[in-house]
Amino acid sequence: MQRNDVTKALETALSEALEREVADLDGGVRLFDDLHLDSTSMLEVLMGLEESIGLEVAPEDLEIEAFESVDTLTDFVLAATRPAAV
Amino acid sequence: MNTEPRLLHDLLDRAAERDPHTPFLSFRDQATGLGELADTSTRIAHHLRARGVRRADRVVVRTGNPLAAVSALFAVSRVGGVFSLLHESVRDGALSHVLKDCEPAVVVCDTDEAEDEATAGGADFLTTDELLGTDGGPARAPAPAGSGHDRALEVDPVCMIYTSGTTSRPKAVVSTHQQVLFSARAIQRRLSYRSDDTVYCPLPVSFDYGLYQVYLVLLAGARLRFGTAAESGPPLLRSLVESGATVLAGVPAVSDRLAWLAARTEHRPTSLRLLTNTGAALSEKTVASLRSSLPGLRVQVMYGLTECKRATIMPPDGDLDHPGSCGLPLDGTEVFVTGPDGERLPPGETGQIVVRGPNVMAGYWRREELTAERFHRRDGLFPELRTGDYGWQDEDGYLYFDGRRDDIYKERGFRVSATEVEAAAHRVDGVTSAIVLPPEGRSPAQLAVIAAIPREEVLVRMRAEIEEYKIPRVCTRFDDLPTNGNGKVDRKRLARLISAGRGRD
Repeated sequence: MQRNDVTKALETALSEALEREVADLDGGVRLFDDLHLDSTSMLEVLMGLEESIGLEVAPEDLEIEAFESVDTLTDFVLAATRPAAV
Repeated sequence: MNTEPRLLHDLLDRAAERDPHTPFLSFRDQATGLGELADTSTRIAHHLRARGVRRADRVVVRTGNPLAAVSALFAVSRVGGVFSLLHESVRDGALSHVLKDCEPAVVVCDTDEAEDEATAGGADFLTTDELLGTDGGPARAPAPAGSGHDRALEVDPVCMIYTSGTTSRPKAVVSTHQQVLFSARAIQRRLSYRSDDTVYCPLPVSFDYGLYQVYLVLLAGARLRFGTAAESGPPLLRSLVESGATVLAGVPAVSDRLAWLAARTEHRPTSLRLLTNTGAALSEKTVASLRSSLPGLRVQVMYGLTECKRATIMPPDGDLDHPGSCGLPLDGTEVFVTGPDGERLPPGETGQIVVRGPNVMAGYWRREELTAERFHRRDGLFPELRTGDYGWQDEDGYLYFDGRRDDIYKERGFRVSATEVEAAAHRVDGVTSAIVLPPEGRSPAQLAVIAAIPREEVLVRMRAEIEEYKIPRVCTRFDDLPTNGNGKVDRKRLARLISAGRGRD
C-alpha cells in the first residue's frame, strides 16, 4: 500500500469520525490539538481504517506516539499494513 | 486517632498515617505517596492562609495535572475553604461565568493567561507552579494555628461542582464535608475497592466521577492512576497493562473501547477484575463482548447525578439477574419514584426518580429558587432530591432509568444541557438563532443555526463559550428555521430537514 492511499483512507476515516469534511491534510497536523479528536473519535478512526483498508491492529502495539500527528499515524498504518516478512 | 474522618482532609491524613510511602497517585511520569501529598497540601494550606484565604472562601483551580488538583483540594479543605476544580477547557466566557458566580478568593491556573480576568474580579491569582511552591514563592510562610475558630465544621461546604442544568449557564452543586464523606463511604461499601487494587481513571479529576475515585482509593488504601485522553484512547489496553490496573472506572465510551480492543488481542489485561460504569447505560453488546474476552472481569453499573453524587449501584454482575437495571440505592439512602402530584408510585410504574439520604447535597450555589425546586423540602423541612430523571423500580427495588423529560441529554456519558449549548451558540458573533436537537439512537446531537458566518466557524467560536465536549459535532446552517403554529421551532421538521441535507450548508 502506498502512502497516498493511506492518506486518502485516513482522511475519509477522519471525516467520518469528526462528521465534517477533512481533506488535503498536512503531515504535521496534530490529531488532538489541531483536529480536536478525542479518545473516542480516535478509536473511530481506527475502526474506519479497519473497514476501508483492512488495517489489523494489535491493541498491545498501540502507543500514544502513533496518534500525535497525521504523519505519525500514517507511518503507523503503513507499518501495520506492510506484509509480515520484515 | 481512630475516630472516623469528619473533615475531607482527615481522609487523607488517616490514609497517610497508615501508609505514607507507597506511590498512591500517578499521572504521566509523576507519582506521589500519601505522606508527600499530606505534606504538600499542608504547605499549600499555609500558603493560602498567608495570602488571606479564610474559612468559607472559594478557591477555583483549573489544571490539567490531577496531582496538583488533588494537593490543592486537600489544602483548601484544611483552611476550611471551598474548592471548585474546573476542566481545562473552561476558558473565556465559561470561566468568566464561574468567577462571577462564585467570587473566589483565589484562582489557580496552569498558565497566567487568565490572570487579568481573575484579578479584575478581586481574586488573588496563582499559577499551578506558584501554588505548589516550585517557583520559590512564599510557600513556607509561618503557619497560623489551624485549630480554633477557623477550623471548618463537618456541616460546612468544601466542594462546588459546576454542572449543566436547565439554566443557560452551569450552576454549582455545593457539598459539605459530611455529604462528601458519607457518599464516598457508601460507594466504597458497594464497590469494595481493595488495598491491593490499582484503579485506572480515564476521566479528569474535574469531573466528579474522577474526583470521587480519589476518595475511594483513600478509603480502600488502594492506588490510583489517572490516564490522559491520549493514553485512554486507542492505547487503552496497553495503559491498563502497564499500570497494572485491577479496576477501570469507566463510562460507556471507555467501556466500548475496551471491548473493541480486548476482542482483538491475546495480550489482555488479565489483572483487570472490575469495570464500573456510569454516565449512561452500558450496551448489552459491550458487556457480552467484555465477558467473553475478559472472563475474570466483573461489571458494576451505577446511576447518579452530581446533586447526590451516586444514587444506585448494581451488585457485581447484577445485570445478569436484572438486565437493564442500574442497581439498588446506597445503604442508608432511599430511592423511589413519584407521580405528577409527588405521590409514590408502585413497582413497574414510571415516574420521576427521587433520592433521600445523607448523599443528597446542600443545593445550588446562590440559586435559591432552583434549589427549592430540585432539593425539595417535604413538609418544608426534610430534603429530597427531585432528580428530573425518570424511571421505575421492580419488586426487588432495582431501579431502571428511562431518560429525562427536559432538555438535559447525555452525549458520550457527559451531561449536556440543550439550553446551555443554545445560549453559548447565541453568544457567538454572527449567530442570530440556534437550536440543539439532542442525540437520538445512534445519531449525535445536532446544532442548527441562522448565522452570518460559516457553520464550522460557529463551532470553533463556541469553544470560547463552553467546554468542548458540550459542543455538538455537527452544525447545519439555515436561512430560516421551520416553525409550528405557535411560532416555536418545529424540532421534528428541523430534524427531517437536517437529515435530508436541506440546510444552507
